[in-house]
Amino acid sequence: MWLRTIVVDTRHTRPLLTHHKTTQTRDIPITTVPTNNSSNQASHILSLLGRIKTQTNGGYQTTNYNNQSAGGYPSTNYSNQTNTPNQGNYTSTPYQNYTHDAANTHSSTVATTTTPVHYQQSYQQWPAYYGQTEVPCAPGTEKLPATSAVSQSFPVPGVTNETPASNGQPAPSYAQPWRQETDLSQPPSQQPAAAVSASNDAYWKHQTQNQQAHYPVPPQNHYQSPLETKPLYETPFQGHQRATYPQGMNSQSSVHQAPLGYRQPTQATPSVDTQRVSKIQIPTNPRIASNLPSGYTKMDKGSSAAGATQTPAYVSVSMPKPKVHATPVPEPGTLPKSLCGFVERAFARCKGDKEKASCQAALKKVITEASDDGTLHTRDWDTEPLSTVLNTDVTNTESSSTLISSLQNKSPTKRPKSRWEPLVEKPFVKSASTFSSGVKFGGWNQQNQNNKKSFESFQKADAVTDSKPTYSWQNSKPAYSWQNSAKKSFQRPVKRQRFSGGAATAIDDEASSDSDKDSTPSAMSFATSAEQTKRRDSRSKRFEKVQGHSRRNDIPRPNIANVGILHSRRGTALRLGEDFDESGCRSVEDIDWNALTVKGTCQEIEKRYFRLTSAPDPSAVRPEDVLEKALLMVQDSQKNYLYKCDQLKSIRQDLTVQRIHNHLTVKVYETHARLALEAGDLPEYNQCLSQLKILYADGIEGCSLEFAAYSLLYITLHSNNNRELLSSMSRLSKEAKKDEAVRHALSVRAAVTSGNYVMFFRLYKTAPNMNSFLMDLYVEKMRYKAVTVMSRSCRPTIPVSYLAQVLGFTNTSSEGSGEKETDSMEACSEWLKAHGASLIADSNGDMLLDTKVSTTNLFMPEPEDAVAHGDKNLDVNDFFTRTS
Amino acid sequence: MAYVSMGEAHRRITEYLNRFCGAVSYQDSPMLCRLLSFSSNSPSLLSLADALNVFQDASILIRQSDKFSEYGEILAHLFRSLQSYRFGNLVEAYLAFEKFANAFVQEFRNWESAWALEALYVVCYEIRILAEKADKELTSNGKSPEKLKAAGSLLMKVFGVLAGKGPKRVGALYVTCQLFKTYFKLGTVNLCRSVIRSIETARIFDYEEFPRRDKVTYMYYTGRLEVFNENFPAADTKLSYALQHCNPKRERNIRMILKYLIPVKLSLGIIPKDELLQKYNLHEYMNVVQALRKGDLRLLRHALQEHEDRFLRSGVYLVLEKLELQVYQRLMKKIYIIQKLSDPARAHQLKLEVIAKALRWLEIDMDLDEVECIMTILIYKNLVKGYLAHKSKVVVLSKQDPFPKLNGKPVGS
Repeated sequence: MWLRTIVVDTRHTRPLLTHHKTTQTRDIPITTVPTNNSSNQASHILSLLGRIKTQTNGGYQTTNYNNQSAGGYPSTNYSNQTNTPNQGNYTSTPYQNYTHDAANTHSSTVATTTTPVHYQQSYQQWPAYYGQTEVPCAPGTEKLPATSAVSQSFPVPGVTNETPASNGQPAPSYAQPWRQETDLSQPPSQQPAAAVSASNDAYWKHQTQNQQAHYPVPPQNHYQSPLETKPLYETPFQGHQRATYPQGMNSQSSVHQAPLGYRQPTQATPSVDTQRVSKIQIPTNPRIASNLPSGYTKMDKGSSAAGATQTPAYVSVSMPKPKVHATPVPEPGTLPKSLCGFVERAFARCKGDKEKASCQAALKKVITEASDDGTLHTRDWDTEPLSTVLNTDVTNTESSSTLISSLQNKSPTKRPKSRWEPLVEKPFVKSASTFSSGVKFGGWNQQNQNNKKSFESFQKADAVTDSKPTYSWQNSKPAYSWQNSAKKSFQRPVKRQRFSGGAATAIDDEASSDSDKDSTPSAMSFATSAEQTKRRDSRSKRFEKVQGHSRRNDIPRPNIANVGILHSRRGTALRLGEDFDESGCRSVEDIDWNALTVKGTCQEIEKRYFRLTSAPDPSAVRPEDVLEKALLMVQDSQKNYLYKCDQLKSIRQDLTVQRIHNHLTVKVYETHARLALEAGDLPEYNQCLSQLKILYADGIEGCSLEFAAYSLLYITLHSNNNRELLSSMSRLSKEAKKDEAVRHALSVRAAVTSGNYVMFFRLYKTAPNMNSFLMDLYVEKMRYKAVTVMSRSCRPTIPVSYLAQVLGFTNTSSEGSGEKETDSMEACSEWLKAHGASLIADSNGDMLLDTKVSTTNLFMPEPEDAVAHGDKNLDVNDFFTRTS
Repeated sequence: MAYVSMGEAHRRITEYLNRFCGAVSYQDSPMLCRLLSFSSNSPSLLSLADALNVFQDASILIRQSDKFSEYGEILAHLFRSLQSYRFGNLVEAYLAFEKFANAFVQEFRNWESAWALEALYVVCYEIRILAEKADKELTSNGKSPEKLKAAGSLLMKVFGVLAGKGPKRVGALYVTCQLFKTYFKLGTVNLCRSVIRSIETARIFDYEEFPRRDKVTYMYYTGRLEVFNENFPAADTKLSYALQHCNPKRERNIRMILKYLIPVKLSLGIIPKDELLQKYNLHEYMNVVQALRKGDLRLLRHALQEHEDRFLRSGVYLVLEKLELQVYQRLMKKIYIIQKLSDPARAHQLKLEVIAKALRWLEIDMDLDEVECIMTILIYKNLVKGYLAHKSKVVVLSKQDPFPKLNGKPVGS
């Protein structure tokens, strides 16, 4: 239960927070403004804001903005926040205030502000709204739990006076550089990725990219909000980055975990060492992070450059220290991060008190053992099986973990891959998600190992929260809500994305929403079979391993780093594109497609065609010279059309993803078009032709006249659109009209429009190039028309031999062999019979068409090869023969 | 560009602003039209443009007074457009004008009466003209022309504003006509269909209620569409309506209508007088008509070849080409008459051989199979009554009215 509540709580405190924020800082409350869909909420917030007299006008404006549209909003906020020197001060101030308050006078702060009242109100309002919508976190009740939980944590900060004052100061300084950077990154045109040079940098980029892909949320959103509302966040980020990246794989993984864990109950994190706290920020923010993809990374760089010296400042800033610290728990710094993650994971999988208790004991044992034999710092806690501390009967692991991770909005299993998401990202993303699973309250719990009482109280609070707001920890409440609100504000934007975001965003969101929905049941009913749990456990571990592995591969090797750059560039470009879509005022043309172009490395000549469902992998794309060989191979191939078509399609695909537009491209399309014509595959032919038109228009030489003729024929014979015919005729140049094929096509057109069947079949026999293949498709119609006309006009009979000759049943100059003639006679009379003509034999035994009788009886038979779905190529048997 | 002092510029701009606001507040549509019609190149607008160039930030003036700032958005875009227009930067001018038009339409929507309909017409016209010019500029810069398309969608929006109950609906047809012009120019004629449907089926529109000039234009364009569809009777009705109702003094318009009406009439078997062709300078049809009269297939083919480009572009090529059958009919009739003179008893039997010979005299080489094919088609299309005896290679004509006249009915009906 408590898991669930906690998860839930992240959402709805925002109004409160905003409000709180504003009162405290007297600054831009703006940021927190939720982009809620519900006007209800928005209005509520407004009212809240209105009540707070201390507020600055800035906040109001922003709020409005949010409600209105996504477009203008971000920038406004942005400029306000970032550029004004005051902002820096601002951030620092609130923080200081905050720490002081938290430490000393929680209650006082609360009292001064109108918060409580609002809170109540909001509380009442929410339930109704959220009860209907399926948002898991939404229910008003849940919000309350959050507060209570928070409150709990808060007292802690008060108790532990680590370094509040000092902390307050450094934070602002940090905040500022960061903001500036983000500001820079904001302009969509900028491509941070492109700038990267060193492999190390590449890695950073890579990271960014990941985030981007992951949280495709355009930077505009509420990115701001986190910053403003919560100075804390900034620091954590930096700290996190610093900690994470410089370190090795293991540490990284742990880092990731931490973040995730952080995300939920903020309280849990405090227990962790400072660095971790900072790390934790990230996970909390997956959504946040999404908002600030570019700025985020940059900040990272900056922070890493800044060096480790600044860390302490951050630490203190980032989080109020929980009470727990006072307890004999090892200093945060002394515990390896991975261990903390491990513990968190373990706790996250406990569902009941009993389980937790047993888990605690087990953990304790494991840790003591580890520290006894000195492996505490050396052991790879990330891969340590949880089963050592979890009994098999303690199930539910995976369900809870998925719940959490899903909340993070990327559970490894669930997240559908965006088509354009660079492949390389995967590991990183996954690792994040995997680690996220266990975290939750782990840290917190661990701390409580020695402090069972507090733990219990915590749980109690949880229990209460469901139904009714608990204010047992009143003092801390404001603080907590504040944090919470920050979190929420991060999340909000993402939600909003669902409506407006690009593909990737949508996908991500979907995943999150799905999992959100799932979360309730899974959290409630933890009774999954032990077996299942085990399986899931192992699976998640497998993921971890894989991720660690791939990351290892990625980072150090320069060539991969290059790929990373490429990917990140693409990611950026895509992101930018999405942003444009978002804002709606810029066009797709502004996307730098060059950045998206792949350079192939595949040397295989033969390659099957698969429709791309993700960004093309350079290693599977053939470069131009290989493609040339592939084309030759297809041309010389003796295999059937289906094979060739498949091969040509894959060649075309490779050309397209590499954006090759030259003679080779033309050749490939021409080859394919011809083959398609030969096989009567009109859809494929049309695809090729439309591409060829573009290529010819670009001035690339080819057999343009040949294809002009085809296109004329096609329009004449198949589309039957006069306007199109006229325009394509008027487009023909004088030289084109002299071309044999074009002239032939024009004559065919004349014959068809005038219904001159004699001319048509003569032209049919003398067709140059592959014109006859196109005419083939019209022969049936023409014959039928001719016979109709003749049987109506001629009396009394027409010899079949004449028809066979006029209607093209005889081969060219077939006078030679009489045998052939009889063959064609046969074919002709067969055809006539099939169309309802009545044939009679005269005294010489020659077949004659009885025109008068036939006139009324002629009909167009259903094509024999007709199939219900209209494409005989889709016939099942044919399909099998093709694939075999 | 003449030098304009700052004070003068200020004066001109303020005067324009005053006029604009005055026109709006007094609902003076003609004045508003004058103030908006760029393409008139009126001296007052040109001098205003110069003034705007001197006085860089006209928005200050707009903001000065509440009176102006009420239309601040409209005026600011309009000024920017005018400025760019004066500099010959047509793409910029178009973009600003599009924004202006949007703002104006928004404002227009709020005006209850339709007093500003004329002004809206001007806006619709100007945006189309500007878009065409901008596209020309884009093409010459090697960019893809897309502004006319954008103008089309804006006009469609305007149509949506007008198509409803109330006094503004009579403006819908004007916008429709502008849309037609746009779509015909773009070659996206099929987009006309939706507009036509709403004009012809929506109950709110009473066709007779629309202004005459719009009705004529509408009929002209829909008639042209029918020509594309080879629906000649309908094309005939529409184009004839346009011809009857158009201003008889506008020879250019009459000529435009005749360009389509003549081929339509020809294919219905109605041949115009030479005077008509001469009067309206339609010489390209001279030989066609002549060929039809004489049954001279060669002349027809020559005429078609000679004006091929023109006919293809205007879209009547295929219509004229189909006249061939009528020419054959005429030729056969001639042969029949000649035969009748020499041997009335057997005149109704036309040997294919004879027809082939006649064609050879016209320098058209056809073998008997092909001649037979043509004959069967003529009989099938009811241009010739009778039958073809295949064995003896003879066309046997009906004794009664062997060559029926079309009399306003299309071939083959």
